[in-house]
Amino acid sequence: MTAAAYLTLLYGAGTTMALSIAAIAVGLPLGLLMALARWRRLPIANGLVKVYISVMRPTPMITLCLFVFFVLPTVGLDLSPMHAALLALVLSTAAFNCEIWRAGMASISIDQLEAGAAFGMSDWQTFRRIVLPQLWRVSLGPLVSEMTLLIKVTPAVSVIGIVDITRAASRIGAQTYQPLPAFIAATVIYTLIIAIVVKVQRLLEGRIAQRYGYVAS
Amino acid sequence: MNGLAIVWDAKDIFFSGALTTLALIGVCLALSIPMAMLAYMFLSESPTPLAKFGRLTADSLRCVPFLLFAYLVYYGLPELGLRLEPFAAGLFTLVFYNTAYFFEIFRTQAQAIPPETRVAAEAFGFSRIKLYQRIVFPQLLSAAAPMLGNQAIMVMKDSALLMIITVEDITFAANFVSANQFSPFAPFVLAMVLYWLFSLSIDLTVSRLNRNFTK
Amino acid sequence: MLNKQFSTRAITAIAALVLFFNTSAASAATLEEIQAKGLMIVATEDDYKPFEFVVDGKPMGLDHELLALYRKQVSHKVDQQIIPWSGLLPGVTTGKYDVALTAVVVTAERAKSLDFTMPIAENTQYYVARADDASIKSVADLNGKVVGVQAGGGSFTALTNLRKLLATSGGSLGRVVQYRSFPEAYQDLANGRTDYVVNGVVNLTSLVKDQPQRFKLGTAVGVPTYAAWAVAKGNASLLAHLNEFMAKVRADGSLFALQQKWIGRGFKDMPTVAPLGE
Repeated sequence: MTAAAYLTLLYGAGTTMALSIAAIAVGLPLGLLMALARWRRLPIANGLVKVYISVMRPTPMITLCLFVFFVLPTVGLDLSPMHAALLALVLSTAAFNCEIWRAGMASISIDQLEAGAAFGMSDWQTFRRIVLPQLWRVSLGPLVSEMTLLIKVTPAVSVIGIVDITRAASRIGAQTYQPLPAFIAATVIYTLIIAIVVKVQRLLEGRIAQRYGYVAS
Repeated sequence: MNGLAIVWDAKDIFFSGALTTLALIGVCLALSIPMAMLAYMFLSESPTPLAKFGRLTADSLRCVPFLLFAYLVYYGLPELGLRLEPFAAGLFTLVFYNTAYFFEIFRTQAQAIPPETRVAAEAFGFSRIKLYQRIVFPQLLSAAAPMLGNQAIMVMKDSALLMIITVEDITFAANFVSANQFSPFAPFVLAMVLYWLFSLSIDLTVSRLNRNFTK
Repeated sequence: MLNKQFSTRAITAIAALVLFFNTSAASAATLEEIQAKGLMIVATEDDYKPFEFVVDGKPMGLDHELLALYRKQVSHKVDQQIIPWSGLLPGVTTGKYDVALTAVVVTAERAKSLDFTMPIAENTQYYVARADDASIKSVADLNGKVVGVQAGGGSFTALTNLRKLLATSGGSLGRVVQYRSFPEAYQDLANGRTDYVVNGVVNLTSLVKDQPQRFKLGTAVGVPTYAAWAVAKGNASLLAHLNEFMAKVRADGSLFALQQKWIGRGFKDMPTVAPLGE
């Protein structure tokens, strides 16, 4: 494998990671908003979010990418491959994040909310001062877990033409008719990236358990 | 042409695609879960260095993205002389990959099970095999049932990626019909509905199994 | 329990409605709309040598150079999307793209939803086999062998004709494996999973030129067919506009020169209206 080939692989890895990070950045707050809608039982939003998560949970990323790229144009939403991939990733990770945030919210007993109300705090103050600090610490472990899962699943976007690391490796193999070195190199590079993320996750979990006494499930 | 009509015309492809997906999930679960159980049993009884090595392998395997692994098995292995047919290659990838996940599930769940039952069984003179068969695994399986169900759904989602290595599953069927009939809407909606139905069945099966085990 | 039933019913209802009421609506832009907007959106395949392919991140090939010529002659911007094959034709019929700027094989089936420009090359479907495969010397030898084609491509539709050809010599079509793109199909041909691959003679000639030690070119398996650009059916103004361009590049010899460069030969006497293959 030539140096240029390695460069293409790294570039592909970079594309994949950039997509994942962008999707995480949007999916985290979006998931929180949806979880809040469920938690506060907002009238229509609650049902919508339930249906949305019900649909997103079993849908494979590749099918979702194909759906966003091919089907949404028929209802007017025309996206380039990059934007379609980002939308698909965000849709999926927001759904899972919503469930994680909700599980975290369930662990906060209602007494605290009542206490907040008794002290005259508004809903927003209660959320910001009492719920959120506990919430993000409890949810951090599962959230980072979901981020890892997202990074692992992002290569599926190659199906709508994005040159991610798998496509880059596939191209190299197609040119040299020796696909094995390319795929091994791609696997090693990408696995290392994910292994680092997992290591960071474990460190974070350990720190949080130490300082705050939470043990993430 | 109306979407429903297009999909009805292509019902054969979707039907065989659904069967393929079902077969992939079923055989994968039937192989991975027992293998993971064996691996768990083997590694919890073996000396620490070996156990550590086993854990490291499982951890590393779980860090590999599934699609890359599938590519590696399908296009890479023939260079080493191992040329598997698409379905076999897909199954091989799924089984290998998910055994590591199931092993991890068993390992983490086992930590949550109180050791008293094990100690009591050992005091009663249960042999190793009987110990696992009668005491450890029933508890483990029923405690881990929701996570096993979740992982089964992940198996279903990973199986969709196999369309890229020419396995003719549900997503392949949707893509085929959409590409040939120039009508993407109905085929992909149907694909998502099929996956949703499969996940419902998996959830139902898990809850039913859970009830049986905890009786 | 009630909540779960609600979700289930809601989803079933939505899915049924959606499936029932959907029809594929073509809303491609006409020439007037394109000129008013100042933007034309075209789609090109990402790996279809020698018409279009990518080397080290740079797009190359006959279609890309034709597009460069076209860009010089028009005032509106052309936004080129490079995407996998399975999205191209559906994208044109649903109006996502204005032109399929790729070597689309002209068939009667496709003519039902697409209109084709003047052909850019003759591209009859041939087969290619491994160079060291002594068992395949003619079309009759393809009896029962495993074939690789592109999903939703002209190679797949050519199999109907191949089936007939094989039947005349008492044979039948073997197992069909469908690939997303041809590089993957060639890989599997090289490693022995498939016995032959069907593709346009232009593409296969280019392949055998690149890899003479691995592959050998066979003979035609389909009726003579042409490759052209495609627009949504009924988009007459855009079609006429593109045909003007095509006539120009034929008349001034630039198409011929491009064919020589990328295909290795020029097609001097191509018809002005592509005959519908099969």
